[in-house]
Amino acid sequence: MKELSLNILDIAENSVKAGAALVQILLTQRQDTLTITIADNGCGMTPEVLRSVTDPFYTTRTTRKVGLGLPLLKLAAEQTGGSVRLTSRPAGEDPENHGTEVTALFHTNHIDCPPMGDVSATLMTLIQGHPETDFLYRHERPGKPVELDTRRLREVLGSDVPLNSFEVLQWIEEYLREQYQTDQTNQENREETET
Amino acid sequence: MTINQMAEALGLRVLTAPEGERECTGVYIGDLLSWVMGRAQCGDVWITIMSNINVAAVASLADVACVLLAEGVVPEEDVIRTAEQKGINLLCAQQPAYELAVRLHELGL
Repeated sequence: MKELSLNILDIAENSVKAGAALVQILLTQRQDTLTITIADNGCGMTPEVLRSVTDPFYTTRTTRKVGLGLPLLKLAAEQTGGSVRLTSRPAGEDPENHGTEVTALFHTNHIDCPPMGDVSATLMTLIQGHPETDFLYRHERPGKPVELDTRRLREVLGSDVPLNSFEVLQWIEEYLREQYQTDQTNQENREETET
Repeated sequence: MTINQMAEALGLRVLTAPEGERECTGVYIGDLLSWVMGRAQCGDVWITIMSNINVAAVASLADVACVLLAEGVVPEEDVIRTAEQKGINLLCAQQPAYELAVRLHELGL
């Protein structure tokens, strides 16, 4: 995969398939590292499945509960000298508190670090395809964090407006674009005053 | 053979060719940038499907004659702009890397 936003889409789709009601997508950008965390409250995985999900042969030989998303994310992270950490609590073990968390660390100054790509487009795709699932997106970066919480959208819109209606999606797109843009303008202003 | 001659002979799309008269002397194929960085030779036609901004950096560092994007890959506008500014020839083609390499071999590379 040539862009991290596509990796994120793939992992988040796994979360949706695992029956998650809430999928959290958290990006933390520091000086020269980027951490991507995708956490869900889906059905989770047993330790046995968990061990095998980053093995591409295991996943393609069975009925493909999980796709190639995790092996590819692991590859992308490790190519930059980073890593992927996976934790999961299966629903069978703890019916109250279950789900999976994937954390990938990238060294962004490594030459093989893929570009971020269009994360807003990834979110739009997720919301459009899964209007019943809630998504919490938070991108911490220099400047103001970018955030979107579909639970708050639902509170405001009420339960009879589907999140994948055209107007809502259009609003979300604009809302994200504005947050990224404001941040960029602020940063440019700061750079100007510094020089 | 120069970049311009190669583009003409293979029917390549030239995205930018600030050094179009540069001579190509070899071919290198690879997508893992850190690997290419240490192995592509000065004057090579570097065939790849990677198209992010780091490709321009590696092309510059390895001093390849051009970057030839295979399989219909088209980079973002800012990558083309950077290539132009840094004097990197950037071309693209619909064919996969192997087919391009075969054609280049037929042309004497």
